[in-house]
This record gives sequence, structure tokens and C-alpha cells, in this order.
Amino acid sequence: MTDGYPNPRPFQPLPEQWPQASPGAALEARPFDYGPVAGGHDETRDAQGELAPHWRYLIDALGALGPEALAERVRKARRMLRDDGATYNVSSEPLASRTWELDLVPLLLESEEWSRIEAGLIERAELLDLVLKDVYGPRELVRHRIIPPELVFGHPGFLRQCQGLALPGEHQLILYAADMVRDAGGTLRVIGDRAQAPSGAGYALENRTVMSRVLPSLFRDSHVHRLSGFFHQLRQKLMALGGGDGIPQVVVLTPGSYSETYFEHAFLANYLGYPLVQGSDLTVRGGRVWMRSLEGLRPVDVILRRVDDFFCDPVELRGDSQLGVPGLLEVARAGRVAIANPLGSGFIENPALYRYLPAIGRFFFGREPRIPSAETYWCGDPDDRELVLAELPSLVVKPTFRRFGQYSVFGSELDAEQLAHWRRRIAEAPRDHVAQRVLDASHTPVLEEAGGLRPRPLVLRSFAVANPTSYTFMPGGLTRVGHARDTRVITNLTGSTSKDTWVLASEPEKQLSLRREPAAAGISAEPGVMPSRVVENLFWMGRYAERGEVALRLLRTLFLQLNGVEPLSAGARRILLRAVTEVTHTPPGFTGPGAPVERPEAELKAVILDAARPGTVAASLHAMLQAGEEVKELLSADTQRVLNDLRDELAALEAQLGGEQLVAPEEALDPLVTTLLALSGLRHESMFRGMNWRFWELGRGIEKALQLIGLLRATLVPELAAEDVPVVVESLLLTCETLITYRRRYRTEPDIAHGLELMVLDESNPRALLYQVERLQRHIAALPAVEQGAGLSRAGRLALEALTALRLSRVEELAARDRRGALGLIRLVDRVDALLRSLADVLAECHFDHRVAQRQLFQGDWSYG
Amino acid sequence: MHYRVRHLTRYRYERPVSQCHNRAHLLPRDTAQQWCLDSAILVSPAPDFATERRDYFGNRLYLFAVETPHTELAIEVVSRIEIRDDGSAEPALDFGLSCAQARDRLWHEVAEEHLLAREFLLDSPMIRVGETLRDYGAPSFADGRPLLSAVRELTGRIYREFVYDPDFTTVATPLDEVLESRRGVCQDFAHLAIGCLRSLGFPARYVSGYVETQPAPGQPKLAGADASHAWFSVYVPDEGWVDFDPTNDNMPGSQHVTTAWGRDYSDVTPLRGILFDGGDCQEMTVAVDVERVST
Repeated sequence: MTDGYPNPRPFQPLPEQWPQASPGAALEARPFDYGPVAGGHDETRDAQGELAPHWRYLIDALGALGPEALAERVRKARRMLRDDGATYNVSSEPLASRTWELDLVPLLLESEEWSRIEAGLIERAELLDLVLKDVYGPRELVRHRIIPPELVFGHPGFLRQCQGLALPGEHQLILYAADMVRDAGGTLRVIGDRAQAPSGAGYALENRTVMSRVLPSLFRDSHVHRLSGFFHQLRQKLMALGGGDGIPQVVVLTPGSYSETYFEHAFLANYLGYPLVQGSDLTVRGGRVWMRSLEGLRPVDVILRRVDDFFCDPVELRGDSQLGVPGLLEVARAGRVAIANPLGSGFIENPALYRYLPAIGRFFFGREPRIPSAETYWCGDPDDRELVLAELPSLVVKPTFRRFGQYSVFGSELDAEQLAHWRRRIAEAPRDHVAQRVLDASHTPVLEEAGGLRPRPLVLRSFAVANPTSYTFMPGGLTRVGHARDTRVITNLTGSTSKDTWVLASEPEKQLSLRREPAAAGISAEPGVMPSRVVENLFWMGRYAERGEVALRLLRTLFLQLNGVEPLSAGARRILLRAVTEVTHTPPGFTGPGAPVERPEAELKAVILDAARPGTVAASLHAMLQAGEEVKELLSADTQRVLNDLRDELAALEAQLGGEQLVAPEEALDPLVTTLLALSGLRHESMFRGMNWRFWELGRGIEKALQLIGLLRATLVPELAAEDVPVVVESLLLTCETLITYRRRYRTEPDIAHGLELMVLDESNPRALLYQVERLQRHIAALPAVEQGAGLSRAGRLALEALTALRLSRVEELAARDRRGALGLIRLVDRVDALLRSLADVLAECHFDHRVAQRQLFQGDWSYG
Repeated sequence: MHYRVRHLTRYRYERPVSQCHNRAHLLPRDTAQQWCLDSAILVSPAPDFATERRDYFGNRLYLFAVETPHTELAIEVVSRIEIRDDGSAEPALDFGLSCAQARDRLWHEVAEEHLLAREFLLDSPMIRVGETLRDYGAPSFADGRPLLSAVRELTGRIYREFVYDPDFTTVATPLDEVLESRRGVCQDFAHLAIGCLRSLGFPARYVSGYVETQPAPGQPKLAGADASHAWFSVYVPDEGWVDFDPTNDNMPGSQHVTTAWGRDYSDVTPLRGILFDGGDCQEMTVAVDVERVST
């Protein structure tokens, strides 16, 4: 089977078969014309400046697909990334996350070259591991004058609290990543070390997954080195860090869904099979770390950390951090939890170290490291400072400590005033700055939107994990390219496109790691254990989805009635508009004096679109999407797709309803209702009937019942003029999708008694209150016991009481009005409403994470002296 | 000289605290002049977890957690300390390394101690060097003057030129404000002196501890009326660290008990921690007794 690629060719085609590869005329005949940037190094060129055979094969293969097929694959890749929820958050606005961008032209590296790079990187990782151990241990490097004391003591990443912290095993630096560029001479140089919580390995895996599906034949025929070995070793290492007997509990610690690389945290947790937790999901008790789960506290042995070290323990590190676990550092010191990377490892990212790495290499290994760093000057050194100040226009200045919002500054881009400003800044805080010679990164072809290949500069990030004796590198890594030919800073934050990196094997690799080794492969003993926060988010997803849906349905009904053939009476109009405000809890709206009953459009639009106002459609659905983000790792690809649709439709709604006039607004709401139904369907059809599902159902059920009570109160409880009854009851039935049933069953004009029978007491109508409460009661009976003693749980008693109250009610009593005109229904729904709200509280109290206020101990004023 | 130091800290919370994790720098360390003969720390309610360690600076760090609900937390430390009493008054300071020599040796003499002392030249969380600090300190530090004599003068100037005012500053008051208003308490004065010294190129560190106080003539000494105290120490190449007390205008001798040292107060905060719940209001009281005991 081919999917449009030329037949596989050997990798070393006879050179004479190819036209002279000097850039220019000969290449123009090819389907893909790729002209490298003059002067710089281009990845596709060999030492003689000619297009290397493996690149020619790739470029021809892509060219042979033809522009349309290629464009289709680009779209397919984009869709897959979106469906997988692959995002890179660029701000704290969860709905503004950017889909991860993947270019379909991989970066190619030949096996032999990669071996050389890898050997250099392994050596660098070993060296940095020794630096890490030394800095938090004997500090020989300082004592022997290999590095100046200020380089260590003056760096914010050097955490004195971490002195003596030691993980079991050979290495302290467990995970490591290096950013590299190839300079004009063709030498790869390290321009950045990531040693704290290196990100990108998950994105690399996602890129690989998408590439192998979008370009299957090309991928297969290229014999690309696999990535699984790296992840296999990562699992092994994490298991080994757990030590002891049995299978250790590993968790992935994330700052939460606002983190820019949250997708990766969720993705890795899923791929590795470990729970994804936030700081508040963990607690320290009795000198150990525990995870709050639905089944109570579970011990945690190993933490794969994606939270920066300062934030990890407010007792000893940053006191105001809410992302950490109070007391964590001491548990780590005592060796009762292993944290990878260890706290304090951020120091290794100090670029001032580059200047001293050759000397450090000589000190530890007796030789300089093979793989060079970018040529670096540290302004903390007087000679370097002088040089930097003098040659600033030709250098790039970087902070020694990465902080949000601090970027590299290119001297060549500064005017005289800015140069003076930077000279002052450097002179004031010399130790906080390094400067490097500007490297002209090598270029590599990128597929353009319009078709065709364009050269773009690239940075390669390679990932390592410690193994028992050395380091295992992921073959290749994550390639990122700049958006323009001369982009100089390539980071996710400033915008970049990523690429898969193919290390080409000369022959197919043996299948690795497909054998089942449960313990060795690091499969968690109890994969079902998850933090109770996750369950809580599913519960709230259910509630918000239902809240949004009811608001949508009611608005749709209202628009239909307002624009109907028969004009609404003023009374019915007022009741229905008030119902919108009451059901969505968005007062004053259509309640109170001066309500815009005559010109309701603006307020109705606000009730749909104003995300900043709690209760609106947009607010509820945003809240639901946010809860979905928090449990990303548990959602199926289908669910992710539905959530994406919902996000798109919300955005589209803004455009459709944005105009002055509302034209057929009810139709604009339809797609959202349909999508919410699809979400329900997925939950119903394809979700494993575990606790996740049950809590989602509980959330949905409780909200459905509460919303129905709100609808009943808003429509039937006010005193109605006799002629308004049919249209108001009809609106209620229509909103609850029960109008057809009603007509079929009663064949009369809608009236209150029949409406109540169908909407409150019907056990077979899924929209009826009784039906919903009965289901709730069954779900609650199936929850794990968390209370002492026999008999019904508190939640069980509340559910049973609500159910019984409904069962004992009779339509005649509910439909009757007392002397003051109050409907009998009121007493029943008030009671059920109160019971259900207590039920929700009890569920939260018994099963959810009790996020309590975390405060700092008051230190008092100076204790005078 | 023998002392018995009792340091009691009590917290009262508006509502029950469900859990707390704390770290304390309350147990006195040994120094060249001082031995901590024994010390006991009593936390109430009894901690569910407690451990003692040496911190980065070699101080005694006590970490504890209470995991049962409580509305009051009391930490009582009682220590017995012996201080070497050489009987002399202040040593003579008008000889030894000059300011210029001290600076020169620090940077150019090959000695491990000098390298490590340079840590205390750098900015620390609560002390940032700057021109105003340098300008304040500079008049005492003529190049040719013996360093210790210069530091002694700085100590005296702070004592004379600053008003001791417990109501003016808090932990959060920036050093610049202390300098401008010429008011503060012992911690401020220690930070101020350290800031001046670092600005002038001399490593200096913060020392926390206690000082024995004497009641006014004819008055009995009141229980709990002492306080924890702070002063500073300066590094003299080849001589080591020498302490000065700008609050009392003297050099700590047999009446000063050292608890811990660090770059500044934040390294050796007596009590720091995180608690859960507890309401918005916390009330804290401290009582300290420094008692001379016969051996």
C-alpha cells in the first residue's frame, strides 16, 4: 500500500544519478524548490554544500504528494493536534490557548552524526550532574577556585535550603534538556540547559504520533529511531527512585491548567500512567507525602515535578506560594519522597556556568567537554564585564536567571540610548547578566502555507533521563523553528513552530519495550487512584454543562415565543423574561423596576454572551471548559473534540449575535445545544462506569433537578391570568423538550395540573424531577462509604428524603392554590431544593478535596531587642 | 558564665487550625565562645512530626507539624548556655588590618575562608547594598584605619544617631526608610550596619540571640520582660568573624547568647510556617527570660 510516495529508495543512491546539486538552475525543475539562505549553514547541505541524499529523498517524497494532498495532510495534522488538546498556553486565559504548531517537514539527522551529538550531550549531562552534587555538597568548585563564589552564592536559583538533599542512585540530575543551535561553521553548540523541570519531551512524542499517522509510508520507510526507549527509561528511573519494596506510587505535579505547558503535563501523566496532581492534591502528614483521593489518603513515593522549585514548599521556600505542598522539602531531605528533578536544580540553568564549563570539565574529568556552549561572558567577572560593555553592539545579553518577561537583548538592535540603558543595567547588576556572541543558527526547510519550502532558523532541544550508569537521550528531540528567515529568539512564548526530529537508522530498529513487564515497566499498582480534585472537576463539569444547557433551552424558547406568529400578551412576556433572569441567576435583568421588558435584546444578548457575569450561557460554558481543562488527562479524544467544537461555537455565537438586530437568534443557539447533547451522549455511551462517571452524573443530575425547580418556580408559581396559562406552560414544556409528549398524552391545551404531572411526578420522563431524583439516589447508594457506622450515609438520607417527598405528593395538591393564591407546588419544591443543596454540600464535604485557606504563620513584628 | 534562656511563643487563632507546618530557629548553636549545654523545645499541642537538623549556615533548625485541630499553639524553648568569660572589657581595636588591607586580602590572598566569606558581601533577601548605605558608612572607613576600629565607630554612630523606637518599624520596613527616619529596633540596626559594611566591601552577617538585661536600679527583674536580640558580625581576613552590637553600643561578650546566624533576618527567622484554616486573625505573644545561673 502506498499513500502517494515514490517507492522506497535506499538511502545512499548513486550520486551520479542526480543532477549537479549546486543551488540554482538544476534544482528548479524539481517539484519542490528549496533554496537555502546564502552564507549560513543549512541542514540539508553536506560538507560540500550539496543537498544531502537523505534530504533529497524527503523533499522529493513530499513534493511527489502534490500540493493538494500535502495541504490535506497539513489540515489533518492540525485536526489531530487539536483533538488531542495539544496546546501551549500563552496567557492565563484558558480559552486563549494556542494549538501546538507542527511543521510536516521533519528535521533529519543521520545516525552517525546523532551518535556524536549524543556522546557529547551525555558527557555534558554527567558534568552538570557533578556540578549539581558539588554545589549542594562540598562546593569544591568554589573552594578550588574553579568558579567564583559569587556565581553560586549570588544566583537566585541556588537554594540554601537544599544543601545536602540527596536522591538514591548515581545521579541527582534526573532529567535534563539541552537547547542547541548549529553555528555558521557547522558545529552544534549548547545555548541553554534545562535542569529544573525540562519541558518538551511530551510535545516531541505528540509530534511523532501525529507525523507517523499523517505521513505513514514516509515515516515507515525512513527507519526513524523510536522515542519509546526514552520514556521506558523515564519510567524505570522513576520506579527506581521509589526504592523499597513493591511498586512505588509516582505522581506528576503540575502548577495547574494555567501553566503554559499544561497539555504536556496531562499528556505525560497519561502516557506514563501516573496521576496528575496539583499541590493542593498532596499533603504532608507524619513525615510522608500523601495524595488526597476519593478513597482517602494514599502515600506518594515519587514526584515528577513540573512546578518550579521555589514554589514547591511554602514552609521553607517562597512563603506565599499556593502551588506547593507545605512540608515537602523536609520529607525529601529525610529521603521519604523522591522529587525529580530535585529542588534546587534550577541553579544548573545559570548560563554563567558556560564560561566555566571547560575548566569544570578539566577539574572533574581531566578534559574539556566535547560539545561546546555558545561563547559566553559573565559580567560578574571584571574582565568579561569590560569586554561586554565595550562590545555590546555585537553581543546578545541574557539574564543569568530566567524570569517571566525577561528576554535576550541583541546589542545590534539597540539604538544609542538603549545601549546606554543596558550598559547601566549591566554595570548596576553585573552578576545578573551574561553576554554571548550572536550565533547565526542553521536553517532547515519549512512547509509554507502557500506550498513550497522556505528556510527557517532552528533550535534543537534534546532530552535525557538518568539511567543506572549514565544518561539515556531521546533520539533527536524537539525541533523548533523561527517564524521568519532571520528570527533570532525561538521560544514557545514568542511564537514558534515545532518539528519532529528524525534520527535515521541505517536499518529498521528492533521493536523495543513491547514485552509486558508490569513491574519493570512502571505500571502503577492501582491505576484507578486519582486525586479527589479530579472527581470534583468532573462533578462541576456536569453541573456547569447542565446550567448552560438549561439557560440555552430557555432562551431558545423565549426567542421562539417572542417572534412567534401570535403575539405574546404583556403578562406572558413579562413572566418569560423574568424567568430568564431568575433561572440564570442574573439579576436585576428583567426583574425590578425599570426592567427592559419592551426592549429586551441587549439584556438577552448579555445573558448569552457576557462571560464576566456569572450565570450567563458564556460564563457557565467557560466554567465547564475550564473544569474540563483541569481533568484533561481523563477525557477521551472524542470528548476533547466535542469540547473544541463547543469552544468554536461559543466564539461563533459572538459573531452571529454581535449585530444590532437579532435575526433568528434561536437558530444561532441550536449548535450549542446539539454539542452539549453530544457531550451527554459520550458520557453515557463511552465512559467507563467508574467513580469519574458517577460524579459527572451526580453533578449533572443535581443541577438538572435544581434548574428544573428554578424553571417551575419562575413559570408556574406566579399568579397567571387564565389566558396566559397555556403559553407559559407550553414554554416550560418546550424548554424541557416535553411538549410533544404532552400533546400526545393529553391532547389538550397545556394546563398547570397536567404540566405538573409530566414535569414533576412522572417517573418515566427523563426531564421530570422525580425521575432525576430517583437516579441521584441510586448513584449515591453506589458511592464508596466514607462515614463511620452502619445504615444510610448522610447523602443517602438526603436523597431518600427528597425522593420520598416527591413520591408522596399528589398532583391535585401541587396544582391547588391556597387562600393567598400560593400554589401547593411551592412547599414541595422549596423542600426538595433545600435537600438537594445540602446533598451537594455533603458530597463535597465527604468526597472532595477540602481546599482550605493556606496562610503564613504570623511572624510578629520585630521581637524587640 | 551560665545562662538559662526561656523563650515562649504563643499563637491564638480566631478559628481552629486544622494543620500547621513550621520551622524554628530557636535552639542556640555552639560558637567559639559559647556552648549550648542542653536545650528542650516543648510544643503544645504535641507535634505529630518533629525533627532537628543543621541548616546551611550550621544553625540548629527545628521542623515540626501539628496535624490535630488547635486554636492555640505554644512553643517553649528552655536552654542552658555556657559562655566563655575572659573577664576583659572590650579588646583593643586600634591595630590590625587596615580597611584597605582587609579588602585587598579578601580578594587577592589565596584562602578558602576568604572565598566562602564573600557570600556575605552579596545582596540578601532583606539587605540590598546601595549608595545611601555606602555614604552613611564611608566616613568611618578611611583606607588606612584599622578595620575593627572603623567598625566599632560605625557601631557607636548608629547607637547615637538612631532612635530606638519599637513602634516605628516592622519586619517589612525597608532599610532605606530606617536610614532616612533614623529610627528602628535591634534588627533594623543590625541590617543597617551589615548594609553599610557590604556596600563598602566588607563581608558581614546577621546574628540572632539574646542579651542579658539589668532591671533599673532598685527594681526587681520582671519575668518574661527580656527579648530576643540581634546584632552583626564582620569578617576580618585571617582573624575571622567579630561581633558588634549597635543597639547597645558594645561588642558582644559574656552577656550575649547567640542563637543563629545568616545573611539577614530572613535566614534565621525565629518561627516561620504555614497553617490551614484558623480564620483571618492570629494573635501572637512572646515572653523571654535570660537568667544568669550559678554553676
